[in-house]
Amino acid sequence: MLLCALSACSSSDEDEKDMTQPEIVATDTASPLDCDTYHKGGKIPFSYLFKDNQELGSYNIEIHNNFDHHTHSTSAVECSLNAVKEAQKPWVFNRDFSIPGGLKSYDASMEIDVPTDIDVGNYHFMVRLTDKAGWQQIKSVAIKIVEAE
Amino acid sequence: MLLFASNDTTIMLNGVTVVDAAKRDYQMRSSQNSVRINQAYLAENIAGSLMQSLEGIPGIKAMSIGSGQSKPTIRGLGFNRMVVTEDGIKHEGQQWGDDHGLEMDQFAIDHAEVIKGPAALLHGSDAIGGVLNLYTNHVPVMPFEGTVQLFGRTNNGQMGLSAKVGGRYEHFFYRANLTLIDYADFKVPTDSIQYYSYFIRLKDRRLRNTAGKEQDGSVMLGYMNNHFHTDIRLSNSYSKSGFFANAHGLEVRLSDIDYDHSSRDIDLPYQWVNHLKLLSHTVWQTDQLMIEANLAYQNNRREEHSEPVSHGFMPKPVGTMERRFNKDTYTAKVGLKLHLAPQHELQAGAAAEYQHNTQGGWGFIIPAFKSNTVGAYVFDRYTVRENLILNAGVRYDHAHTHMHHYEDWYKTPISETDSVFKERSAEVSRNFNSITWSAGINYSIGNWVLKANAGKSFRVPIPKELGADGINYHIFRYEKGNSQLDAEEAYQLDAGIFFSNKALTIQVDPYINYFPNYIYMNPTSDYVEGLQMYYYAQSRVLRYGFEAQVDYTIGQHWEMQMKGEYLYAEQLSGEKKGYTLPFSTPWSIDGGLKYLFNKKGKGFIGMNAHIVGAQNEIVPPEKKTKGHWTLNASAGKHFAMGATTLKVALHADNLLNKRYYDHTSYYRLIDVPEPGRNFSLMVGLEF
Repeated sequence: MLLCALSACSSSDEDEKDMTQPEIVATDTASPLDCDTYHKGGKIPFSYLFKDNQELGSYNIEIHNNFDHHTHSTSAVECSLNAVKEAQKPWVFNRDFSIPGGLKSYDASMEIDVPTDIDVGNYHFMVRLTDKAGWQQIKSVAIKIVEAE
Repeated sequence: MLLFASNDTTIMLNGVTVVDAAKRDYQMRSSQNSVRINQAYLAENIAGSLMQSLEGIPGIKAMSIGSGQSKPTIRGLGFNRMVVTEDGIKHEGQQWGDDHGLEMDQFAIDHAEVIKGPAALLHGSDAIGGVLNLYTNHVPVMPFEGTVQLFGRTNNGQMGLSAKVGGRYEHFFYRANLTLIDYADFKVPTDSIQYYSYFIRLKDRRLRNTAGKEQDGSVMLGYMNNHFHTDIRLSNSYSKSGFFANAHGLEVRLSDIDYDHSSRDIDLPYQWVNHLKLLSHTVWQTDQLMIEANLAYQNNRREEHSEPVSHGFMPKPVGTMERRFNKDTYTAKVGLKLHLAPQHELQAGAAAEYQHNTQGGWGFIIPAFKSNTVGAYVFDRYTVRENLILNAGVRYDHAHTHMHHYEDWYKTPISETDSVFKERSAEVSRNFNSITWSAGINYSIGNWVLKANAGKSFRVPIPKELGADGINYHIFRYEKGNSQLDAEEAYQLDAGIFFSNKALTIQVDPYINYFPNYIYMNPTSDYVEGLQMYYYAQSRVLRYGFEAQVDYTIGQHWEMQMKGEYLYAEQLSGEKKGYTLPFSTPWSIDGGLKYLFNKKGKGFIGMNAHIVGAQNEIVPPEKKTKGHWTLNASAGKHFAMGATTLKVALHADNLLNKRYYDHTSYYRLIDVPEPGRNFSLMVGLEF
């Protein structure tokens, strides 16, 4: 019985099981990119292509400060960092978004308003994407917020 | 079913010194698959931790959590799905935690026994995968005797000292233990670690800040005569160890701390763990009756410290104490064994436990909680003929868990204008009742012993599963408990096929295991506050597999050993139907050759190859893991010096310094390979 199970049963269900992570694709028009600079009171245009082999799940955009150079980064790029400083009124942006059901490809785009009353400096722009099965992809972009023009 | 701890340490795990009759008798003692491990085996196979030392046993794995710390798993089940006992009392650590070891002194252990398969009958909740029984109950025979051991490891610069003394004056005896260990950051065979798209460069191939230290001590006093034995033992185990500095949980970290100035210091983030235990063990025995009583108090404390950083809506906290746990456990157990007739033995027992947990710090994983459990069992063993033994038993348990309310210490916005202290755990009170049973048969004919055992076991859901509702920064995900979870149940059918003659021993242990409601943390496609949401659900799970071992002795000097294990697990229902379970153990084969000699004392030299298959059966967020093999060597020699014996043991692990990943390691998730080449040396003096 065990031998049967070893040879036959372990290869079942292969076709339906999703074993692949979704992708965050930087197309020619992708934004933001590493080291991009934005102004207080301005807008961050967000545009990335999401792809999955079976069905996309949902995504999240999170922006947090990197003033102390402490926080996580999934980016291989390190842009010029300002000196380490204490946060006074750092920008915290954290929003979850759904993707319509049944899609294998989705163009995510929106404009994010940069508040006028926040600390300037280095920030991390995080994009997190799941597929229906629960696989996750993360992309981190290092951006800089500067004073309004 | 070994209820009463035995002081007998003459059976060795490796084939040589075991006489066939003893091996056969041991196989006939229980219808379950069990392996007994004596002190000599432990000393010969000493590795970073007790569990790593036990890893040579097929079906046993040390789930590596870094810095020589590891958690046991039996046939792929660990944490709260197996039980560790010390002298008959369930050892309470923080079983649910991923990041600290067993919290006991491995050098104090006299012998151990692993029971593979359900053992709810004697141990109640959690004994689904099996039980690791540890014994520190050796009774000294001389007025003064002892051992001093010095040991070291090259990979993490570990240095250690362990001393054991004891003595017996007529009916009274005492024992004392002291162990001191200090180790540096461990080395991996890579210059950098790539995690997501981030490169972590390592200095001198060391995993930053994984250094640590351990200090253990114990004293025991006892009295014994022909019918009565009582002892009381006080032990304390303390360890402090750093966490890998570049990843806190699964989160990549950059820090201003100069980790690279020393590989021996312990910087933030780190943890310390303390386990205090007071244990009283009493046995009263006549020809027909044996009564045993165990009383224990255990206190576990653990603190985890890290650099405070703001995260999400949590502002930068004050201080470094991220988590603190304090757990008190009171246990009482009584058991009796009655010889109704020469061929008929009845065992019965009852146990009660009270547990109280409190927590603190700015990070939240589990709420404070308290629990009460009571259980009682009866077990009957009937010898039909000398070579045919039947056994059956039944047990009832009642458990009550009460979790306390917890809310964040900071506010989270719920609209443009309003924010609240979010509740992370509600006040929840639950009762669980469970009836478990076991039945088995032992049959021997000629050189063969055949066994079969069927059993049901269960597990009371832990507070994290019932009440979690928040961010687990350790694993970097949002975890949602389910206060309506049922007690997890498991049915298992085990078989044991054993053959032994003068030269050859063969053992094959197949099993099939079914869970109608395995508690599983299911990853979803949803986000909560920027973290992927996982929730606890119950699904049907089927697992099966086997372990096999062949020992062949050629003449007086050569010994060959082949052993291996295979395990398959599949979820049969729920959102992850068709997927395996997390951290599924891949198949493995181990082949070894040993040369034994006796020149003014016993000695051996051996080589072995350890081959592990690929694991392509994964669930999110795991990654597939390639197969690998390692070459290892060991040697040992005893030198008799009058009344004392000097023992030297040398070990070389991963001789080829291969870079590989262990699918069942917590570090696999952040792409940290397993330790590179290591030599370890132990010198012991017995007097």
